[in-house]
Amino acid sequence: MNRLQTKFLGVDFKNPIVTSSGCFGFGLEYKEYFDPNILGGIGIKGLTVEPRDGNYGTRIAETPAGMLNCVGLENPGIDYFESHILPDMKANGITTNIIANINGKTVEEYVEIAKRVDKIPEIAVVELNISCPNVKDGGMAFGANPEVAARVTREVRKVTSKPLVVKLSPNVTDIASIAKIVEENGADAVSLINTLLGMVIDIRTKKPVLGNTFGGFSGPAVKPVAVRMVYQVYKAVNIPIIGMGGISCVEDALEFIMAGASMVSIGSAIFSNPMLAVEIEQGLQKYCEENGIENINELVGIAHR
Amino acid sequence: MFLENCEILENRLVAGHNYLMRVRGDKTIDPAKAGQFYMLQCKNGFYFLKRPISLHYVDKEKRELEFYYEVKGGGTKDLAFMKVGEIINIQGPLGTGFSTDMKDQELLVVGGGMGMAPMKLLIEALSKSNKVTFIAGGRDGVAMEIMSNFSLDGIETHITTDDGSVGTKGNVIVKMEELMKDKKFDMVFTCGPQKMMEAVAKTAKKYSTKCEISLEARMACGVKACVGCSIKTKVGMKKVCHDGPVFDSETIVDFDPVLEKTETCCGN
Ligand SMILES: Cc1cc2nc3c(=O)[nH]c(=O)nc-3n(C[C@H](O)[C@H](O)[C@H](O)COP(=O)(O)OP(=O)(O)OC[C@H]3O[C@@H](n4cnc5c(N)ncnc54)[C@H](O)[C@@H]3O)c2cc1C
Ligand SMILES: Cc1cc2nc3c(=O)[nH]c(=O)nc-3n(C[C@H](O)[C@H](O)[C@H](O)COP(=O)(O)O)c2cc1C
Ligand code: FES
Repeated sequence: MNRLQTKFLGVDFKNPIVTSSGCFGFGLEYKEYFDPNILGGIGIKGLTVEPRDGNYGTRIAETPAGMLNCVGLENPGIDYFESHILPDMKANGITTNIIANINGKTVEEYVEIAKRVDKIPEIAVVELNISCPNVKDGGMAFGANPEVAARVTREVRKVTSKPLVVKLSPNVTDIASIAKIVEENGADAVSLINTLLGMVIDIRTKKPVLGNTFGGFSGPAVKPVAVRMVYQVYKAVNIPIIGMGGISCVEDALEFIMAGASMVSIGSAIFSNPMLAVEIEQGLQKYCEENGIENINELVGIAHR
Repeated sequence: MFLENCEILENRLVAGHNYLMRVRGDKTIDPAKAGQFYMLQCKNGFYFLKRPISLHYVDKEKRELEFYYEVKGGGTKDLAFMKVGEIINIQGPLGTGFSTDMKDQELLVVGGGMGMAPMKLLIEALSKSNKVTFIAGGRDGVAMEIMSNFSLDGIETHITTDDGSVGTKGNVIVKMEELMKDKKFDMVFTCGPQKMMEAVAKTAKKYSTKCEISLEARMACGVKACVGCSIKTKVGMKKVCHDGPVFDSETIVDFDPVLEKTETCCGN
């Protein structure tokens, strides 16, 4: 019996385990380690309309129990994704749900990429990443400004018929209020957390390690922050949550589910443990069996009761 | 499967801060070739990411892998603390290796400092059916201690050190110039500090000789999933972990690209 079967925004997921955007390439990079179809869904690297080269210089730094990155959304662009990557995913037998993470520098760019993604039948869910800096409004992240977050969600909602998940940035004072705003403006679900803004200085060179000075902080070290935010957002909204941020074992996944996540997403921990998805899938099944839980969804938000 | 728990057979100080680790492999051995690397898991859970380390040598009969590494920071220090009999998780072999399937060619191998790591296997692979000349360079005698682990019978070897404590005083480029002036090499292979490889590539180009270099980048995944090690080349963005670490030097636009700083950062 599959106790992990999940229906999320009307889509069937064989389990509530997905991968976080930017941590699983385009779904094939780990195929020599395990069958990607074991996942309920695959979150692919953030896409933009135009191909992007990303940031120059050092893009990765490590920190105790975590890492920072400033990849800068390097991606081959939607055209290349459609003409080369998607066919490659299909040729390699990927049948599980695909979650497309979309990004832009302006609201217009978000709308454009959303329109393009909407026409691709293989994409099951759209994830709107609002952690990008809004170039037109002075570089502040879309997700950090309630009005801009509302506007971009509303405009993207108009052009997509697919389930729309809005991915929230943790770099805000009150994440629950941002979650409420995107709910009111048409989000079907929220995912959180994206990376925390951080930096590392090399004391030998006396310079920032990352080419972009700042980077996104992720990994086990951020987990308590992420669990807290999922807990707060669960209380504030009536739409489901995809929880992520530092999940590195089955216990972590359970913690997120108990805090209120209907789905859990594995991010940077897969870099150090390529078998993590398999371990979490088996671990959740086992936990349900041993605790007499018919379906994993019985545990969603249980910490609030 | 490219992920394996291996028993440590040896983990000894060679000299200075440089160590040699030998492990028993099984699944990860057969495809391994010179210039490829492995991701080594540090013992301490404190270190989140694995460390990329080049394959120093593989003995397919004995089913053993060797890594030569320098203690630079906490992660490699952690590796140095590991004891014989302990288990280390390794992932690999990863990336492309050096080209080794040529025959009857005059080849020049230039290694500098820690860049000597992949050269043991490379020289063995190349010398089977080619004539190999080896220039080994380092700061001092300590850097050259690893030479005792190389099998260099029949290999024309030149050692240079900055302080002249072993071999000739000077750097590998002076020696390279000296050799290339008199002899036509079919190909040059190099691994070492960035500045050195840049100069090696320039010298090779001056003599119209093809050159393969092994680049480094900070890596998180090692399998082109994180896009962390990406560099700009003449043929587009390439991942050092997957399309490299070995590249034809001609495709490299800029060894040390000027950082394009942006005001804001979304982190990803
Ligand atoms: C493909 C590849 C092959 C490599 N092969 C070898 C090898 O055979 N032997 C060996 O000794 N080293 C090798 N390195 C470098 C090695 O990976 C780093 O020295 C190591 O990751 C440092 O880890 P740390 O925790 O000790 O240092 P940290 O505490 O993380 O950093 C200390 C210092 O080490 C340097 N450093 C950190 N990460 C890297 C990196 N990825 N590349 C280069 N320098 C780094 C930086 O100067 C940093 O300031 C290789 C790197 C790559 C990318
Ligand atoms: C290397 C890297 C690249 C990422 N790229 C993206 C991206 O393109 N879009 C996005 O929404 N999030 C991106 N993220 C954020 C992750 O999807 C995730 O939200 C974050 O890393 C927290 O989860 P974790 O701690 O489990 O890694 C990236 C994270 C990392 C480490
Ligand atoms: S290290 Fe992740 S893409 Fe190369």
